[in-house]
Amino acid sequence: MTRPMQMNRRGFLASATGTLALLAAAPALAAGKVLNILSHRVHQAVLGEGEGDLMAGWKTANDADLAFTTFDSNPLMDRLFREASLPETEFSLGYMVDNRPTSDIARLFEPLDGWQEKDPIADFADLAPGLIKGMTIDGKLIGIPVRTATQALFYNEDLLEQAGFTAPPATLEELVAQAQKISADKIATGMVLASDLAVFPVMFARAFGGDFLTQDFRLLPDPAAMEQALTVLAGMFADGSLPRSYATTKNDDQVTWMQQGRAAFTVLPFARAAQLNNPEQSKFPGRIKAVGFPVTGGLVGKTPMAAVVEAWAMVIPANARDKDLAWSYIRQVSSPETTLGMALNGNGAARVSTFSDPRLIEKNPLAAIEAEALANARGAFPPFPEAARAQALLLEEVQLAVMGRKTPAEAVAAISERVAPLLP
Amino acid sequence: MRKTTFLGVIPLLAPVQLLLLCVVILPALYVVWLSFHLSSFGQAPEFVGWQNYLRVLSDPAFRSAMWNTVIIVVVAVHLEMLVALGMALLCNSGVKFRRFLLVAVLAPYAVSEVVAVAMWRFLFDLDIGPVTLALQALGLPVLEWSYEPSHAMIMIILLTIWMHLPFTFVILYAARLAMPADLYEAARIDGATRLQCFWRVTLPLMGPAIIVALLFRYIFAFRMFSEVWLLTGGGPARSTEVVAVYLYQEAFSYNAFGTASATALLMVIASLVLASGYIWLLRRQVKNAR
Repeated sequence: MTRPMQMNRRGFLASATGTLALLAAAPALAAGKVLNILSHRVHQAVLGEGEGDLMAGWKTANDADLAFTTFDSNPLMDRLFREASLPETEFSLGYMVDNRPTSDIARLFEPLDGWQEKDPIADFADLAPGLIKGMTIDGKLIGIPVRTATQALFYNEDLLEQAGFTAPPATLEELVAQAQKISADKIATGMVLASDLAVFPVMFARAFGGDFLTQDFRLLPDPAAMEQALTVLAGMFADGSLPRSYATTKNDDQVTWMQQGRAAFTVLPFARAAQLNNPEQSKFPGRIKAVGFPVTGGLVGKTPMAAVVEAWAMVIPANARDKDLAWSYIRQVSSPETTLGMALNGNGAARVSTFSDPRLIEKNPLAAIEAEALANARGAFPPFPEAARAQALLLEEVQLAVMGRKTPAEAVAAISERVAPLLP
Repeated sequence: MRKTTFLGVIPLLAPVQLLLLCVVILPALYVVWLSFHLSSFGQAPEFVGWQNYLRVLSDPAFRSAMWNTVIIVVVAVHLEMLVALGMALLCNSGVKFRRFLLVAVLAPYAVSEVVAVAMWRFLFDLDIGPVTLALQALGLPVLEWSYEPSHAMIMIILLTIWMHLPFTFVILYAARLAMPADLYEAARIDGATRLQCFWRVTLPLMGPAIIVALLFRYIFAFRMFSEVWLLTGGGPARSTEVVAVYLYQEAFSYNAFGTASATALLMVIASLVLASGYIWLLRRQVKNAR
């Protein structure tokens, strides 16, 4: 005869204690060490997983595992800075975007020059010098560049053909004309742009040879160029080449609009090509292509387009627990072979040589165009304490101009007046 | 029977009081302290007196956000009250399909706010939204919520009413169910019409429940964030920004913790001022009930 299993208090307590002990010991059983990382999901994804795990060898060699905690860009920066402000953090590594490190922020992170001298990264000189400069604050290197996102002009070849165009636009005027015709013929909306990012008005201003804020903090170095940019955007909104929902369009909307064929043109980083052409998501797989953003006709052959590039770097909080392991991770991730592996997985490389690697060229036909765009690219604006507020003011005025509530000239004057007091 | 002493109950109450102290009182005091300091990441807090309050109060964006909040709260809460009262009376009137009606009114509470806003964004999309297309097909004007600031405000108000109707409805419906049927029987014997029954019996007896619902909704609505943030992001051109969005931007976009804290305290004061009339009515009702 079998006795029914009964749970008494002593048994319950013993089981509960055993389970808790097992749970507590689980990480230790899995690997000797764990490197806690704060990043965007994309930083984790490009490292691959399973058989394609680019860090498998490093994990074995270091008897370590990686624990990623991922966020969207702004919440990620908030959490990273919060962790770095504590007396100690268990996150020994973080990913920082290049428009955030001010002098105050930089002080929260470990200077990496000493680590590079002691245990250097392979072929350090191959890392794009401009990106290294962007992560050098007050003479100290605080981050190692790992990802670039250079903006490109994406177009739907299918929709262009329907409108009778056989080639993508070579000048800004052609871009506007093609977008207008596609909208007028009711094939699709000409162009979709997010209204909550400075990237787009800055790209249009640079296409006219202007800018919002230069790296040496000159605000609107060519106000006429910004005015021309806003005039073009306002014209496109008025004739329906930009959607009526422009003011509430976000970055993710741009992707879905292009995938669904609702818009013919957009501006997104080159790395989005795979997502836009993904057969499982896109109605136009293989038909959404990219070129460098064109300049105005008068500047063709004279001034190259300075596309907006956003770069991410790996940083070690100054209060991190395991800086040795973090530096070891940085060395591995920024090595030429891992950089190539990540590029093959869709990461914008931070190494110059990666773009000319035959394996990348074979897999990514945009590699050469991206390398060309990256050569002249720069950030949307330099980091400074009030940068986020300045961006918000710029976007507010741009929206007012695009929707016709202010003239472009009034908007440009307001940008100048409102942003100037925020500059360092 | 053993007499309970004050010292005797302290160990029983202490855990809850300690919890409140840790998660409510200390953080609130910290916010007050922070509101008098200049503070951001990588900076040691610097005492600046009332400067943060002056900066916030003199910011046109804050005044616009406060005005938007007041409009949305006053319009949305009162409209919501009327709809909830109507639905509570309808459900109590023996109408057919009462259960279906109850589910329809309560369903929004089962939907996550993020999903609800995404759904509304799709339904009212200016190009492909089913509601927009239906309105166009009927020759009716559409809600250009991503272009016209007034339309965007209407959209936010509609969304808020839809999302929070269950809360107000449950309070009023419970109050209506608790009212004895013989009062209506007596009123009818006295010759009262349906309208007179409503004005002389229903409304006075539901008064306390209405005040409580209004008070809660005023305070909750003043903190409104997700509806605006996810629907319009405060746009077009900050024209629909509310105070909670302004606060979020100060704290998490601009990392200006001093001004964000000052905004939070100004928000508390403003919501108390706005709800003060109903607080006074509630106090009077409680006093009269004694």
